[in-house]
Amino acid sequence: MENKRQLLFRIAAIVIIVAIAAVMFIIGRGHTIYFDNKTAEYDGKKYESFYKVAIIKDKEKVAKLAEDERGMTDLIGQTLSVTLEITDEKGADPHSAKVSMPIPYGIDGIVINIPELMAGLPADAYMSEFVPVATSEDEEEEEVVIDEFEMTDDM
Amino acid sequence: MTMKERITASFKEFGLPRLIITGFLVLLLIIAPFVGSDLPTQISNIINRFSWNGILVLAMVPMVHSGCGLNFGLPLGIISGLLGATLSIELGFTGGLSFLMAIIIATPFALVFGALYGWLLKKIKGGEMMIATYVGFSSVSLMCMMWLVLPYHSPNMVWGLAGKGLRTTISLEGYFDQALAGIAQINIGNISIPTGTLLFFALLAFAIWAFLHTRTGTAMTAVGSNPKFAKAAGINVDWIRMLSVIMSTWLAAIGILVYEQGFGFIQLYMAPFYMALPAVSAILIGGASVNKASIMNVIVGTILFQGIVTMTPTVMNNIIHMDMSEVIRIIASMGMILFALTRKTEASR
Amino acid sequence: MKIKDKINLRQASVPIMFIIICAVCIPLSGLSPKMLINEIITRMGRNSFLILSLLIPIMAGMGLNFGMTLGAMAAEIALILVCDWQIVSVPGMILAAIISVPISVLLGVFCGKILNRAKGREMITSYIMAFFVNGIYQLIVLFLMGKVIPIKHSSIKLPRGYGIRNTVSLLSMRQKLDNMLAVNIAGVKIPVLTFILIAIMCFIIIWFRRTKLGQDMRAVGQDMEVARDAGINVERTRIISIVISTVLAGLGMIIYLQNMGNIATYTAHSQIGMFCIAALLVGGASVDKASIGNVFLGVVLFHTMFIVAPRAGAYITGDSMIGEYFRVFVSYAVITVALIMYETNKRKAKSAASMRLKEAQESEEMGESSQADA
Repeated sequence: MENKRQLLFRIAAIVIIVAIAAVMFIIGRGHTIYFDNKTAEYDGKKYESFYKVAIIKDKEKVAKLAEDERGMTDLIGQTLSVTLEITDEKGADPHSAKVSMPIPYGIDGIVINIPELMAGLPADAYMSEFVPVATSEDEEEEEVVIDEFEMTDDM
Repeated sequence: MTMKERITASFKEFGLPRLIITGFLVLLLIIAPFVGSDLPTQISNIINRFSWNGILVLAMVPMVHSGCGLNFGLPLGIISGLLGATLSIELGFTGGLSFLMAIIIATPFALVFGALYGWLLKKIKGGEMMIATYVGFSSVSLMCMMWLVLPYHSPNMVWGLAGKGLRTTISLEGYFDQALAGIAQINIGNISIPTGTLLFFALLAFAIWAFLHTRTGTAMTAVGSNPKFAKAAGINVDWIRMLSVIMSTWLAAIGILVYEQGFGFIQLYMAPFYMALPAVSAILIGGASVNKASIMNVIVGTILFQGIVTMTPTVMNNIIHMDMSEVIRIIASMGMILFALTRKTEASR
Repeated sequence: MKIKDKINLRQASVPIMFIIICAVCIPLSGLSPKMLINEIITRMGRNSFLILSLLIPIMAGMGLNFGMTLGAMAAEIALILVCDWQIVSVPGMILAAIISVPISVLLGVFCGKILNRAKGREMITSYIMAFFVNGIYQLIVLFLMGKVIPIKHSSIKLPRGYGIRNTVSLLSMRQKLDNMLAVNIAGVKIPVLTFILIAIMCFIIIWFRRTKLGQDMRAVGQDMEVARDAGINVERTRIISIVISTVLAGLGMIIYLQNMGNIATYTAHSQIGMFCIAALLVGGASVDKASIGNVFLGVVLFHTMFIVAPRAGAYITGDSMIGEYFRVFVSYAVITVALIMYETNKRKAKSAASMRLKEAQESEEMGESSQADA
């Protein structure tokens, strides 16, 4: 009886820990979000960039984009909610828009095109994967130093 | 005892790790020609490295014999040797003479350090190996400061810009580079045999072997195998142990000088830090245990260890295109030491 | 009573010596008090948890656990994986902790079993153990990761396609734990949450000492044979103590690395054991006796020395390397002295015991007369 209870407790503990780990996988997934204020084309239609866009996340201004600029922010979790303060033309009053969207789990870096987003196009139109450009420095082989006392050389 | 029992007994005595390591080396030797690595060069490398390292491994023998365990305090002796080498150069000796002088200068240091070390080990019987390790570490890090502070001036050794403080590596060209190896060196094709160094090793090994058969030598073995009995037989146990520590320290000093003449450089600062570990694992691979070691163990162990060190990079690289030699060496040598430390028969001592 | 005072004085001598070294070096280093206090607080948060992991094997009579490195390696493997999965910030740390535990337990059981076969020489064996497992760690990280264990991101993978780079950036986790609930007092940042975790650990250790298992461990530490006669499973108790130590070291390493902000893949763990042990000994602990007080006193004194020594050395000699070597030397020397003191005390106690036995025998034989001789 005693043993059975112990076993039960252990299984329960393991299940809880695994569950915590699973939760961490979901709530802790980090993404890098890039915002583009660039003129884009979709289905043969042109979407003009705005004069100025400010991006506010958690009451904090994370980026301020002029025309043709890109800004970035880190995101933890799968839901992006930001407030965009958009100025259409020079001198015009800014109007703000709250947007919230799910981010695909498997992608590290995501580019969001603001003009397309504001035009209400579907997600696959304004979202694209960010592909880092490999620099030549990256290609160089790195010497691995195993121990700091230079025992590598010999005895 | 039947034949089968005898075989299994000797098999057990040999030990699984040792068997794996030997088998591994044999396998490497067999594979080597097929993967396009040049066997004569490899063998020549092994012989050369054996000649460099043999005496450092030999330095384990006296302390193991007297029951002080594996000499993890090897760096202390190495420091005496380094002092001898640097002072010999500082005093202006060159060529082969500088090697002789290095030995002569290193000797008093080794005797004093060895005596202090022996006195310390007398106070801590039973905990020698751990304390030896840390005595080695402390002395190496103390000497790191000393190399900077001591008033060395020879322009070949100090930092050019500051004009003081010894460099981390000092070239021995013009001093005792190949001082022993150059004597009667034999060159056949790709193979070059450092006859002088091998003879020097043979001389010292023979001296130790002969010493172990003198009265003092047998007393040393007695102290190691059964201290109570030795004490009852009227042997001065403390003195014998002290003697063995001094001998080990002196051999380490000579060992590093021989190593340097082959390698061509003096390495200072942190370089001696982990030098005890390969020497310890080499003698264990050769069949020694924590309280038993022979000259044969030294020779076999050094050849096996150096064989693995030289063969793995080239052969492994050719087979799987990965240089795993470093990792293999760490796992093999440390596994060997662990195995020796955990043998039940020896742990009871 | 007199002997006891003497031993206490001897134990206090190491901390006193360090207080003197620090007192001399602090003014010479030219550090402002604010900077110094900031540094010490940071290092307390960073290292205390790791050092706490050493207490339990000492309680079980297994000496200083040089094998705590094994836990550190488990934590590094977990962090590398979590980093590749891009689980960031505190959730990443929690996930790494959960992953590190089974690895630590496995390594701890292995280490404990080996140490059970090397009774009486646990320290040197655990020390070699650390090297041995380091070899296996390298095999995993340098060759299997990227080949057998999938690693996606080229920022942590070597350009050749397998193996991990020399440094793995933990920028996404950097000081996320420390900054949570952090309080700033007169320019000194106090990582409150980290300290809370350390405090919880302290209470757990205090509580653990009173449990049945804790009592068993102390009994095993005092005398294995007596403990065995009392029906305690000595081998199992010893393994458990090493497992706990390894797991705690792993968790401690995660706290340590989140503060550092990057992993030096092949070197981060190699010196951790040595520095933690030195710090504990500086706090006045010995090989067979250590308390939580020793941990904190040790962290403060050892790291003060560590911060000020290079600067003070540079001020005195004009060469910063001397101070660097000095602090390394002091770390090793402290351990050496502590080990020597432990062994000599052990021998003294042994010979005193045999002397008493002899005395008792003699007095039985010759009555009162022998007492005067002794």
